[in-house]
Amino acid sequence: MSTKKTILILSISLILISCEGFLDVRPQSELTQEAFPTSASDALQATNAVYSTLRSWHYHSGGFPVLDVMSDDGLKGSNPDDGSTSMAPFEDFSFAATQTGLDRWWNALYEGIRRANIVIEKVPEIEMDETLKTRYIAEARFLRGIYYFDLVRAFGGVPLVTTINPDLKLERSTAEEIYTLLEADLQFAIDNLPLKSEYSVDQLGRGTKGAAQALKARVHLFKGEFDEVETLSLAVINSNEYDLEDVFIDANGVNGEHGVESVFEIGAIASGSPEGNQYANTQGVRGTPNRGWGFNRPSMDLRATFETDDPRFEDTIIELGEVLDGITILGDGSTPDETRDEGGNLIEIESYNQKVWYPGTNTTTQWGHNRRLVRFADVLLMAAEALNENDQPVQALVYLNRVRERARQGDGSILPDIAETDKDLLRDIILHERRVELALEGHRFWDLVRTGRAPEVLGPLGFIEGKHEFFPIPQSEIDLSQGSLEQNDMW
Amino acid sequence: MKYIQTIKPLPGKAILKALGVALLSIVFVSFFSVASQAQTQVSGTVYDAETMETLPGVNIVIKGTSRGTSTNVDGYFTLRLNEGENILVFSFLGFQTKEVDVTGQSEITVELETVVGTLDELVVIGYGAVRKRDVTGSIGRVSSEDLGKVTSLNAEQSLQGKVSGVQITTTSGAPGASAAVRIRGVGTFNNSSPIYVVDGVIIDDISFLNPGDIESMEVLKDASATAIYGSRGANGVVLVQTRSGSGIGDRPQIFVSSESGIQQLEKKIDLLNGRQFAIIANEIRSGSYNNVDAVPDTDWQDEVFRTALIQNHQISVSGASERGDYYISLGYFQQEGIIESSEYERISLKLNNTYKISKDFKVGNNITVSPYTQRIAPNATFAVYRAQPVLEPFYDDGSYGVVFNVGNPLASIDFSNNYNRGVRAVGNVYAEGIIANTLLLKTSFGIDGAINRAENFTPAFTIFNPDGTASQQNNDFSDIFKGETYNYTWLWENTANYIQDFGKHSVNAVAGLTMQQTRSEIIRLSGENVIRDGEDFWYVLPSYIVDEANNINQLNSIFNGVDAGQYYNMISFLGRVVYSYDDKYTTTITMRRDGSSKFAEENRWGYFPSFALGWNIDREKFMEEVSFISNLKLRASWGIIGNEKITYYDRFSRVNSGLLAVFGSPDASYIAATYGKSGNEDLKWETTTQTDIGLEMTVFEGRLSAELDYYNRETDDILVELSTPGHLGNGQGQRIRYNAASVVNRGIEFSMGWEDNIGEVGYEIDVVGNTIHNEVLAIGGNSGIDSVLFGGALANGQLVTQSRVGLPIGAFYGYVTDGIFQNQAELDAYPHLSQADVGDLRFVDTNGDGRINGDDRTYIGSPTPDLVFGANFSLNFRNWDMSFDFQGQYGNEIFNGKNVVRPDPYNFEQHVWNRWTGEGTSNSEPRPSYGGYNFLPSDRFIQDGSYIRLRSLILGYSLPTSLLERLDIDRARFYIKATNLLTWAKYTGYTPEIGSGNVLSNGIDTGIYPIPRVISIGFNTTF
Repeated sequence: MSTKKTILILSISLILISCEGFLDVRPQSELTQEAFPTSASDALQATNAVYSTLRSWHYHSGGFPVLDVMSDDGLKGSNPDDGSTSMAPFEDFSFAATQTGLDRWWNALYEGIRRANIVIEKVPEIEMDETLKTRYIAEARFLRGIYYFDLVRAFGGVPLVTTINPDLKLERSTAEEIYTLLEADLQFAIDNLPLKSEYSVDQLGRGTKGAAQALKARVHLFKGEFDEVETLSLAVINSNEYDLEDVFIDANGVNGEHGVESVFEIGAIASGSPEGNQYANTQGVRGTPNRGWGFNRPSMDLRATFETDDPRFEDTIIELGEVLDGITILGDGSTPDETRDEGGNLIEIESYNQKVWYPGTNTTTQWGHNRRLVRFADVLLMAAEALNENDQPVQALVYLNRVRERARQGDGSILPDIAETDKDLLRDIILHERRVELALEGHRFWDLVRTGRAPEVLGPLGFIEGKHEFFPIPQSEIDLSQGSLEQNDMW
Repeated sequence: MKYIQTIKPLPGKAILKALGVALLSIVFVSFFSVASQAQTQVSGTVYDAETMETLPGVNIVIKGTSRGTSTNVDGYFTLRLNEGENILVFSFLGFQTKEVDVTGQSEITVELETVVGTLDELVVIGYGAVRKRDVTGSIGRVSSEDLGKVTSLNAEQSLQGKVSGVQITTTSGAPGASAAVRIRGVGTFNNSSPIYVVDGVIIDDISFLNPGDIESMEVLKDASATAIYGSRGANGVVLVQTRSGSGIGDRPQIFVSSESGIQQLEKKIDLLNGRQFAIIANEIRSGSYNNVDAVPDTDWQDEVFRTALIQNHQISVSGASERGDYYISLGYFQQEGIIESSEYERISLKLNNTYKISKDFKVGNNITVSPYTQRIAPNATFAVYRAQPVLEPFYDDGSYGVVFNVGNPLASIDFSNNYNRGVRAVGNVYAEGIIANTLLLKTSFGIDGAINRAENFTPAFTIFNPDGTASQQNNDFSDIFKGETYNYTWLWENTANYIQDFGKHSVNAVAGLTMQQTRSEIIRLSGENVIRDGEDFWYVLPSYIVDEANNINQLNSIFNGVDAGQYYNMISFLGRVVYSYDDKYTTTITMRRDGSSKFAEENRWGYFPSFALGWNIDREKFMEEVSFISNLKLRASWGIIGNEKITYYDRFSRVNSGLLAVFGSPDASYIAATYGKSGNEDLKWETTTQTDIGLEMTVFEGRLSAELDYYNRETDDILVELSTPGHLGNGQGQRIRYNAASVVNRGIEFSMGWEDNIGEVGYEIDVVGNTIHNEVLAIGGNSGIDSVLFGGALANGQLVTQSRVGLPIGAFYGYVTDGIFQNQAELDAYPHLSQADVGDLRFVDTNGDGRINGDDRTYIGSPTPDLVFGANFSLNFRNWDMSFDFQGQYGNEIFNGKNVVRPDPYNFEQHVWNRWTGEGTSNSEPRPSYGGYNFLPSDRFIQDGSYIRLRSLILGYSLPTSLLERLDIDRARFYIKATNLLTWAKYTGYTPEIGSGNVLSNGIDTGIYPIPRVISIGFNTTF
């Protein structure tokens, strides 16, 4: 009987074990949200995370350089059939609301906004150095401003989110409401962020007063508010924090990373996703050397638009046979070297975007390219454009010619100084200068839209006036909203 | 340039061989020693005195000894007697023990009388057993005989076409791949697999079990049967009983079986040949091929698929005595893949023992240990389907030729060294004691431990273009990956069973308390630039996780965490009372209370009741005159069962601390952390309410038996991950779990068996089947967002299933096509997408708004069959036996997903040859293109998924008794067997059996590894 008793005792003792403690199993290796951020170190990490979104592949217009491909500067690229669903629809404006990539872009931008909102909402409660605290919040608002600007420019009015846990159903706010928020964010950043020179060299890449001014200038430029553009861009120029690189290629290249021309750039390390940025890999040389997928091919139209012997031509386009950093570019076996139309006209030459070239040995090294979101040449050209619009063409020429002077590299026979002071003619010249100086950097499409030239320039490619100024709200978001999100006109 | 890797031999293989030889020699030694003794022999048949049916499994002991035997399936036995041994004792559960004097007899007939009040054999149900008459639930059974009918790694394959209401779909033909098991349809958006209870231990899969070690499998289907498993039982329960020692006597029973076979591709997909491809390519882009008659013609299917071997061997020893019984088994299974570089090998050790410590107390164990090695080939099926036939596998110098866009599949296979090696140990030890003949107390401690080591090595290699430049298929530096997953569960179960009869009243009750803890951990390491390619160097050194070119650490080369699905605790209280009156009326009441750590404190406990009634109509007076009916029972049950197969942390809002930000010159990374997606604290149990009405009957003296069930399963509060609007900032593709959907499955299940003989030919026919009506009743609810769940992501991210109210789970959706735009006038006259041109498909404006857009995509098919069936025929004539097992399904569709995803110029299926080339040339096959508009998901890619398959065909021959006696062998049978011999299907892919572990991606053929046809020979003998 003793064995039976043992069983009985065991069973009874088991029943007496406290159940609730046994059923409490916490997440392993992960904090839960109520416990974060609660310290100065947490605040810094939460702020850093807002930057992290800038390196996500999705952030860069959903992963593909669609903005250049939608302009007259870039062709789809890669081999003729690669990206037939992901990229080709942007080339001829045949994409619809169901287009893949739009959802990724939308989600990445709101992910960045949420990360910013965490800092803006939670960091004020933390006991820590007040100066740093203010800076962190200003950094978060700076980045939130960037993310909202990308949203409103691409999609128009979007749901306005300023809290960590917004309602599930939100309607679209008006574009004006979004602009009001993002301009306030950028203004707060201008008022509270340090100058670039006030950061130690190992902290470059954080938001600065100059970067916030330049980005706010870009916002006003897009809206055609030239007084503000003038004020802000001149403030950046006159801060003496920035200058042009001596050599044009360094403006985007590895030697100019966080250099004097860099107003705001996305730091990246040549490794995989945790530290790298696939932006340049997407556009990298396809084939030999194998540096990427080869999207965003310089168009014939872009080739033709450079002035005679403009050295920037060579530094913008990687041609087959060219030698870069000791490596001969042989290109891709599945891509024709030249493509002609039925009439025998050359319509595409295998070539690649040199602005994203990064020295190295393999595809992952391309991930080390620091994408320049704002560089000083852009600020100079914004100033020039604003001054011209504000009827100060002579001052405008100063900044325009400063860009051309660097481009000509001391060769007096090319790229003469511009002396045109007729407002309309100068407007065209400045826009053209923007096109060649900033080619394949994602500006051209918006420049055409904001100046109203898109229907004329892009119409032959498929652009429809009144429709393609905005992207459609991703169909998946319309579906998820169960009727609270309305689609853009004509989509 | 060529790396040929062979499977690392398991050390166990050598041990197995040694053991096999040793065991065989023991067998022979005992054979000679036994044969030399002076003996007489008696044989005979044991019958049920009431029905005159033969009784298998009757224990026979020679009185005064511990030696004996038991009857075989035909109720037949043979026994050797030494001088002076004259009396045999026959005993069998439910029958009166009988002593028979066999002096001077060699052939006898024995009739056993039933014990009044305990009629019927016992049926194992959860946490106990009840008399068959008292079963109120719907239970399907598969015996060990059926388990051997198909050549496969996993026992669940044997359920296919055998048990009504069960649908088994193989997810891949790759060695070691699992099957998707669905009982009574898909009732949840989560894991829909049943649980398995192996000798009392609850586990998630039984791939570690050698089917040869299984005695029987019982499928519990309705609430009455599964409610005792509470939160675990919503998808059904499969009870697995492994073999135990049998027979009484000091002579062990030795069982040896061996089977070897070859596997082949069942059929090829009809693709374009080189010339056809070149012609089509020229139509797409003129001038692609100058001379279409001079292009190569490579059949990539012939290049890649091979004939592969499969083998399965087992030796077991079992025996029993008054002090206990034992079953010891060693099994070896090996399967090569029909794609090179894929293989599976398993050794299984099984040890089941019971020890009777006293008359009322015994202890025991059931232990399985299975080491295995799996080698996984890259998914060459996709590459084979896509590779252009105009490319050649090798250049003239023997090096691999470039295959644009998909990579040369032969090279991918050659350079792949991807292994899983591990050990799974499952078992329990238990003690049970009986008090006052009515109360059985049992405590059982079970474990399920697994360690899996993944290893993947890819050497540095480059496939060159014809011009000598490197193609996209290359690997700059060799890569090494190691992953170790550790899983450990303990389950402590304590039960008390009470059985008592009071006159006409009979009570069978159980109460219990169980606790379970499940833990896991994963460690992963990867590196590159391994110093040498050889297998001896496949280890991750610190220097390998540094990118030497850039002198930086590869931060994602290390991972350490838990497996979120395998980290939880549970406590359960259970109880059940089966009460029957006069053997006519039975009621079963079950209740289980489960507590799970997966839910927050307020929602932690779930209650799962069930209630059932059974009426044995044949016991009624008015049935006495209906003599042709020997059994007639009506039963009905209702109950609620739960489901909690979610990750342990879904309720928590967690912080993502694995991020980095890059600042400074030079670039350096800084740690970053932010909120991950939000959790849902309100999560609670998903519940399934099931109603079942069943009728069972046996007529014509047992020749015809039939069972019919109506079932209705409604699952509510389904734990479903819903997409959230982007503005919540959870990030692309992130989903949050809610209790927010309802699904109903209802249908009829039937099974019918006929057993008779014509002269010397005995035959048996079994037909099983079930209908399934699957319908989503609600999605979203008050907490969720989606009213439609999208799923079935193809490789390009396109989602081709939607689950919405009124449709089946995972219904296919896309555009509806209506012919082809024959000319510009038609194109202009109809609404169309801007990409559409003359010669392209015409999509229907289903919502009639005058334009074509995403809103016009609609329901175009269902992956859920209307009918799942099996039909099994067996014949025996003297020593010959033969069986044909058919199985199939009807009324489902397959989405030919591999045909849709075409980002690059791939080869085409043959139907493209009948393309549109001008007005009136075709109204179904559009003008050719490599991708784009005509490949948008539409009903063009929907195919009929109905099929009938000759699942197994077996011809066996058993050695005649006269010969067996001379050899002193109890039984010996040789057979030839074909698995998946023939399939009748309209589907153009390798197999119409397209399964998926994910219920939202079911029935989508994304290029699955073909399920091979197996032809094998084998034998089994019992000494």
